[in-house]
Amino acid sequence: MAHKFARFFISLPGRLVRGLLTLVSWIGAFFKKIGSEIADIVQTFVHGDWKTRVSYVVMGFGSFARGQYLRGILFFLFQLVFNLYILFFGGSYLAKLGTLGTVQTTTKNRVTTYGDNSFLILLYGILTIFFIIAFIYTWRVNIKQNKISEQILKSGKKLQSAKDDLGAMADSQFHKTLLALPMLGIFMFTVLPIIFMVLVAFTNYDYSHQPPGKLFTWVGLSNFKTMLSVGGANFGSTFSQVLLWTLIWAFFATFLNYFLGMMVAIMINKRGIKLKKMWRTILVMTIAIPQFVSLLYVSKMFAADGLINTYLLKWGWIDKALPFWTDGTWARITIIVINIWIGIPYLMLIATGISMNIPADLYESARIDGANAMQTYAKITLPYMLFVTGPYLLTSFIGNINNFNVIFLLSGGGPLSMELAGNAGYTDLLITWLYKMTVNDTNYKLAAVIGIIVFIITAVINLTVYNLIPSVRNEEDFQ
Amino acid sequence: MAKEDRIPEVDIVVDHKAGVIREVHPPHKLRSRKGHERRVNASIYVVLTIISIIWLAPFVFLVLQSFRSYITENGGMVSYLIPKQFSLDNYRFLFQPESQYLRWYTNTLIIALFCAVIQTIMVLSVSYVLSRMRFRGRRFIMNMILVLGMFPGFLTMIALYFLLKQLGLTQQGAIPGLILIYVASSGMGYYISKGFFDTIPKSLDESARIDGATRFYVFKRIIMPLSKPIVIYTILMGFMGPWGDYVFASYVAFGKSESYNVAVGLFRWMNTRDLQGYFTRFCAGGVLVAIPITILFFILQRYYVEGVTGGAVKG
Amino acid sequence: MASVTLEHVKKIYDNKVVAVQDFNLEIKDKEFVVFVGPSGCGKSTTLRMIAGLEDISEGILKIGDRVVNDVEPKDRDIAMVFQNYALYPHITVYENLAFSLRIRKEKQEDVHRKVVQAAEILGIMEYLGRKPKALSGGQRQRVAIGRAIVREPAVFLMDEPLSNLDAKLRNQMRAEIILLRRRLDTTFVYVTHDQTEAMTLGDRIVIMKDGFIRQVGTPHEVFDKPKNLFVAGFIGSPQMNFFDAQLTRQGDSYSLATHGIQMELDAERAALLRENQVDTMKVILGVRPEHAVIRFEDHENAIPCTLNVNEMMGSELHLHVSITDDQTAILRMPTIDLTEEKRRKLTAGSPLYFSFASKVVQLFDPETEDSLLFK
Repeated sequence: MAHKFARFFISLPGRLVRGLLTLVSWIGAFFKKIGSEIADIVQTFVHGDWKTRVSYVVMGFGSFARGQYLRGILFFLFQLVFNLYILFFGGSYLAKLGTLGTVQTTTKNRVTTYGDNSFLILLYGILTIFFIIAFIYTWRVNIKQNKISEQILKSGKKLQSAKDDLGAMADSQFHKTLLALPMLGIFMFTVLPIIFMVLVAFTNYDYSHQPPGKLFTWVGLSNFKTMLSVGGANFGSTFSQVLLWTLIWAFFATFLNYFLGMMVAIMINKRGIKLKKMWRTILVMTIAIPQFVSLLYVSKMFAADGLINTYLLKWGWIDKALPFWTDGTWARITIIVINIWIGIPYLMLIATGISMNIPADLYESARIDGANAMQTYAKITLPYMLFVTGPYLLTSFIGNINNFNVIFLLSGGGPLSMELAGNAGYTDLLITWLYKMTVNDTNYKLAAVIGIIVFIITAVINLTVYNLIPSVRNEEDFQ
Repeated sequence: MAKEDRIPEVDIVVDHKAGVIREVHPPHKLRSRKGHERRVNASIYVVLTIISIIWLAPFVFLVLQSFRSYITENGGMVSYLIPKQFSLDNYRFLFQPESQYLRWYTNTLIIALFCAVIQTIMVLSVSYVLSRMRFRGRRFIMNMILVLGMFPGFLTMIALYFLLKQLGLTQQGAIPGLILIYVASSGMGYYISKGFFDTIPKSLDESARIDGATRFYVFKRIIMPLSKPIVIYTILMGFMGPWGDYVFASYVAFGKSESYNVAVGLFRWMNTRDLQGYFTRFCAGGVLVAIPITILFFILQRYYVEGVTGGAVKG
Repeated sequence: MASVTLEHVKKIYDNKVVAVQDFNLEIKDKEFVVFVGPSGCGKSTTLRMIAGLEDISEGILKIGDRVVNDVEPKDRDIAMVFQNYALYPHITVYENLAFSLRIRKEKQEDVHRKVVQAAEILGIMEYLGRKPKALSGGQRQRVAIGRAIVREPAVFLMDEPLSNLDAKLRNQMRAEIILLRRRLDTTFVYVTHDQTEAMTLGDRIVIMKDGFIRQVGTPHEVFDKPKNLFVAGFIGSPQMNFFDAQLTRQGDSYSLATHGIQMELDAERAALLRENQVDTMKVILGVRPEHAVIRFEDHENAIPCTLNVNEMMGSELHLHVSITDDQTAILRMPTIDLTEEKRRKLTAGSPLYFSFASKVVQLFDPETEDSLLFK
């Protein structure tokens, strides 16, 4: 096993280089595509008839003139809406995007004159950019349709009527029908906010720079410098400590639960053990009960005046309350242990489900060969499990990096420490720290930086590990 | 799996080289295998019992302490477990208007119902399209969703809060606002449902298409009837989600306690008002939330396992 | 009732993999054509292109006189039977059969009439009320065919319909498909990897390998006049035996030397070789197992060999023999006149001698693998 790890690390630089080269080739392909599109646009103009050429300026004209009234009207409306939008709304925001606003809001004699709102400028500026991209794309589609329509008519066939188009919505274009609403939702509620926040990381949007009262502006990479600097009790060192704990936590949370969960599943599944359903049901209760109830309650159980301490004191096992939540190291260990309580039932269910799928003949041939329980486990059960749950482990690990609930509800990220900046505590993960910065400190710029860093970590782990885990590489061995 | 626990008296050994089958009388250790196995099983039973006690204990305690009246006894943290007197005062409190508990409960119920329905529609639409249809941009959408999923969810909250504020969907209007947040991007969670759809043979679709069915017809009349487990799983997931969300709910309803959901309300009781002894009332509130969810979960447990192992594990 | 024409049809996937290369074929109206070949040869892909389930990368596809490259499957007037039957599990057999008619909003009387008619032809009347999972493999197979019959299509497409059945059922269904064909009198395009099915069912057989058509012909043609080594080895069970041999031309006649024998080729063969301007060269000689004459004693132009394995097939024996250390062959011997004495002589290690007539000999160029006789 060790040499596999060694090989992995040695191969890292090679992987990185190859990854970068792939990225470069994608970018190259992208520009090539743009080039060919532009060439096509020029060609269509040169070879097109007058209806096509007018469509370059008045979208939808070509479709309308060729009898496809619905399409023509839709294109034209889109162009109209877009123009109105830019003229009366988006244009002004877009113009100020570079500065994020220069006119301060002033209050004189209890009369407030509102100046620029940096937040809205950023938000609507981004929205406008997307709108522009959408417009260019639609315009391009409009041109392409003209070209295709000309070809169809030339070859003597008919164009699709409005009725055909609507029919296609339920058939060949069904994907567009079904995806329209979800994609819109994702765009407005995920894409836009994320891009917004990523850009906020490059501004100084925080407590003292809040619109509409105050402006914020671009500050380049200085936030990243703050977060990643080293030395002292500032954000930099805090960041590395929080990061370290996040990774340690994710590791233990994932793998401890995995192996223990599997062991419990095997124990319950062992032949000769009765009442299998009962054991499983008892464990599964933990999943059924909403986490906030169980976690909040359990966190109180471990409090200084909680059940555990109370009874331990009563029984004389200790003479003062154990600092479960007040000492940094104790808190970390307690969280990992409690997480086992939460996590094992999930793993047990999955392990049970999978072990039922292991082909029985593997076990039978092992029995005939004379393998004992330990050998069977190591040579058949374990590899099969690892193979099937490889992707699950990966998602689980990443999920634990972002496991907000467990940390927040159990310890609130504490205990706090003077050595940690930004109100970070010993058990804070990157995302709970992010939450604190957002809700308590209104320090949006640093929160955004943390968010970006979490993304990078997740992306890197995904990319490097994904190709390594056995399930992707050795599929043939198992089939 | 072997149904018999008895070990045969002789071992049958296949001698490949000589091409024969031989009987071998068991060495001493084989005869004690029966006893050995019994010992192993016994220790497993012990371990399982301990585990069961540890796992169940918190809930037992929770229920016990919910019966400790905040009026007659102490409603905060005390040093004993079993109430001196079993009382329903805590539960009565929950139903009084000043506790707002009922309000929170109904809020969460409404949110959960809307989420269950709308989310299912969104998720199944996306999963179906990505599973059955091939079109330009399919890979792009799947990759984009993958990349977006790598950002911490809470990051979007800041921008969304202001967006919702513009639309008046915060604080007072937090309920619709929360529903919107939960369902709008729910299409991103297509992974498990798609895995399920992938197991339905494409030849069913193709055969229907040759017969003249539109894709919509195939979706409605063929795929959906075959997808009961995953539909139920998705509805279940959509329903159970909002009950436990603290982060988004607290942010959107900030300050307006009428708009809290149960998670936020109970959290406040536990953490800010605990000094006034809200602990036992929290227990009671928790029990009332846990019971229906747990029952629901058990009824539909087998769909859950099908959903998780069928989709997530097969990748 | 229509013809199917493929002109220069190609299928190229996104990753540049060419699944079907330059496919040219004219299927006549009411003809039963079988596409056969090993896995991955492109036969299913071609069928799916005819059906409209795959896009045609290049070339023209016509059904009847219509070019149907861009026509939706449902408008091509075809019906398809899938390998895994593709029956809708949640509705009854009756509804399965009626499915396509209901989509076209036909009247209930017409639907009922057509469904019953198809059910009668296939003998599945008593299953009409059941759901597919209550049926056996063979019954499901019939329902799948029934669904296609109900459509009354111009072209019947079948994608390895018998592959999921056990051997006995397969034989039975083969016969039924032949009867079906007679009854329906439509154009059939049938895909299989089993050469027996191809030979028994097809009016013409299209043998494919790696995306190319290797030969098109009637069963008789591909059996007796294979155009290349692949077709010769693919058709016929057990497989044709191949030997290295030396062909010598002397004027207008040819002689063949291999494994210690030398024989003159007959006039017909010689004429074919002359036509193709074949001279003295090394060749690959092909002889089918059933064409060998086997004796226990040496005789004219007989190759000596040793028996390795003797497979009892019922009405005949398949004798696996070795001629040299690396040259083996399979020979067939009918059991009907086999006496006890002869049987005893057929044990491992026994010597045998086999010869063959010139008129059954196949000759191939070792480099191009093309036949030297039939171009």
